[in-house]
Amino acid sequence: MLEKRFVKILAVLMILSFVSVAVLGGCSKAPETSQPSQGEEKQEKKEKVLVIGYDRDAEILDTIKTAWYSDALIYIHDRLVSRDYDFKYKPGLAKSWDVSEDGLTWTFHLREGVKFHDGSPFTAKDVKWTIDTIKDPNTGSPYRNDLKAIKEVIVKDDHTIVMKLNYPFPNLLFNLSNTASGIHPANAYEKYGDDYGKKIVIGTGPFKFKEWVKGDRIVLEKNEEYNWGPEWMSNRGPALIDKIVLRTIPDENTRIMELETGGIHILRNVPVAHLERLEKNPDIQVYRGPATKLGYLAYATDKKPFTDVRVRRAINHAVNREEIINYVFRGVGEVAYGYLPPALKDEYLEESKDLAYNYNPEKAKQLLAEAGYPDGLKLTLSADNSSRSQKLAEVLQSQLKEVGIETEIQLYDSASYKAMLKEGKQELFIRQYSWPNADILDWFLLSSQMPYPNHSRWNDPKTDELIKKAASMPTWEERAEAYKEVQKYLIEQAVWCPIYIPEQIIAVRKEVKNFKYHPWMLQYNDGFDMMVE
Amino acid sequence: MLKYLIRRLILMIPVVIGMTVIVFLILHLAPGDPVDLIVGPNVTPEVYENIRRRLGLDQPLIIQYLKFMKSVIKGDLGVSILQERPVIELILERLPVTLQIGFAGFLITFVIAIPTGILAAVNRNTIIDYSCMTGAMLGISLPTFWFGLLLMYFFAYKMRLFPISGYGSLKHLVLPAFALGLTNAAITARMVRSSMLEVLRQDYIRTARSKGLAERVVIYQHALKNAMIPIITLMGLRLGWIIGGSVMLEIVFSIPGLGRLIVESILSRDYPVVQGSMIVLTSSIILANILADILYAVVDPRIRYN
Repeated sequence: MLEKRFVKILAVLMILSFVSVAVLGGCSKAPETSQPSQGEEKQEKKEKVLVIGYDRDAEILDTIKTAWYSDALIYIHDRLVSRDYDFKYKPGLAKSWDVSEDGLTWTFHLREGVKFHDGSPFTAKDVKWTIDTIKDPNTGSPYRNDLKAIKEVIVKDDHTIVMKLNYPFPNLLFNLSNTASGIHPANAYEKYGDDYGKKIVIGTGPFKFKEWVKGDRIVLEKNEEYNWGPEWMSNRGPALIDKIVLRTIPDENTRIMELETGGIHILRNVPVAHLERLEKNPDIQVYRGPATKLGYLAYATDKKPFTDVRVRRAINHAVNREEIINYVFRGVGEVAYGYLPPALKDEYLEESKDLAYNYNPEKAKQLLAEAGYPDGLKLTLSADNSSRSQKLAEVLQSQLKEVGIETEIQLYDSASYKAMLKEGKQELFIRQYSWPNADILDWFLLSSQMPYPNHSRWNDPKTDELIKKAASMPTWEERAEAYKEVQKYLIEQAVWCPIYIPEQIIAVRKEVKNFKYHPWMLQYNDGFDMMVE
Repeated sequence: MLKYLIRRLILMIPVVIGMTVIVFLILHLAPGDPVDLIVGPNVTPEVYENIRRRLGLDQPLIIQYLKFMKSVIKGDLGVSILQERPVIELILERLPVTLQIGFAGFLITFVIAIPTGILAAVNRNTIIDYSCMTGAMLGISLPTFWFGLLLMYFFAYKMRLFPISGYGSLKHLVLPAFALGLTNAAITARMVRSSMLEVLRQDYIRTARSKGLAERVVIYQHALKNAMIPIITLMGLRLGWIIGGSVMLEIVFSIPGLGRLIVESILSRDYPVVQGSMIVLTSSIILANILADILYAVVDPRIRYN
């Protein structure tokens, strides 16, 4: 009897413990992700809170260590160089810079009066620490290779920093203006230990890191002391918005519903399927612009039949790009003729359209026959498992069938896809890149990048020569011209089959005032404001 | 009974160990590499090897497994590869969230299924019975997440009664809890009905009625108590399902729960998080089953565990 009673008590205790974990665990949570339009009751002055929706959360909020850059990092940190509304490189934390005659020494003159969020003053040693830490192999920074042109960073005085390069590299401005080049306070890892990038993030930016509820939201609050915005901004001082909340909403439909009901104010990367509905919604304004992205069909160029340029050209002739834009993307997007997005105005090869291979199934069959495949081919067509890639693969499958190429579609989740490409099992495969610089060609097509990310397995001395020449041209203009030569050659060799350039679609609710479209990243501190009820 | 309990708890250990072996093997043998996902593709081989070594991924699988189990015994579930935080911390952050929805859903199931099942059983083969059971059929056939989306569409999007997604207040819990609770209630209601029907046929019910007891007393005091026995077992077993079943709901409603953590960690090959979470998950399910069995014995004095 005593036993039974004991067991009854035990059962009750077990239930209570389950329940208490649930209740107490929840109690320590921060206040709600409620719709901002409902406001906070206790505040006298209504806070201006901008809420942005994302499909994923950051893993670690550290520009040095992370491989995926949350937008939050753009506003927490400043960079030496900034990008203006025309994507031109302008002063950031560096108010000016000089380059030596031989292009190997860059001297940056740093802004004065800049402070980090923890109160410490910004000086040259912070720049040195940041870059040295990125370049240190022990840090394991994914950005390390992008700064390989830098040989050494020297602190000349508190507001002057010198970078010695291994070779002339005008693209340094691009790299130094990237999110990954956000400047941190020197010795941040020592000062803040393991918490850095998780509970504490320090920068000089217009917004300070406030809170991170993992998987739910990141909260930034405005930096009241900020008054060193770049000269091209209309508002160089503190932001008008009090808080920015970056919400993680993994499901696409949920994101759209949140946008339509005011749960979020801005949504970038609106899926094409919802475009029409959002455009009709009077509370929402849709902004469209060409994206710096490119989708393509690639193949393993070191395997038969792709070793034969005629086969590669045949595939290019077999694809009906217009049909793809209309069917897969509902007309939202442009045909890709070359290897770079036309939005890269300086570097894009204008003649891409004329040099490219037009849709011509007869020519495709003829080339295949010439190359020794009159009866066609049987190949695998690999893609990631997103619904867009699936549709694209199906359309390509039917287009290739017309010229005698039978394909078997294989879909992968992103980690398995990567592993498969590294192993080199691919034949035909679909990819898309998103990058605003011509050096993406180095990334994908230099032979030293094999087997990954050079998943085309393109091993060609002439390509290597042309790319290396372009990458180390002494001035930006010469570099751009040289990259055009690269593009010309790649088109001629039909290394890829470029297909589409997507559009960048941003949906903004009417509560957001003074919205200004920026080709790289929305500059919320440049006059963005919120309506408050 | 105590002996039985202790025996069950001890038996838990080989089950959990077996599970860890299976999960470990599947994770490590599947294609995809966590190191890739943290260093990015343009890494020199030496940096790549450094990181692999730092994470202990260069050792043979057996050694890695034994090291992991050794630290588990000490209470250390490892450190997340991607987030560089202790796995225990991550789990403790997300588990309560999932449990809150699970329990709220449970409550809803209870409150809806039992009266519905009783109503259907007592009014057998009438329109009430048919409509309840049709409703139950719908509930069983509807996928939970789809139902959640439906609730979200009508009550949050169209009627603006609740927030669409997110977490933080009681209002955020309502729709996901209903989605979970109602679909579960369907199965439970049917069980309540059949269990009640079974009990109502018994002799002692006839005796109670012939004693002149009010019908309400017969149903609630005599029939229901006996009918509840298999129901409690069923609900106890389903308790373990809370975490697994809520994954889709957590995605649809953007809730930072444990189910989502596990799925995201699998996709990003964050081995320590998956391994640690699976230990917690498996243990919870086993404990819930044990609890169900104990309750069964507590509620039914005829049951003896020896």
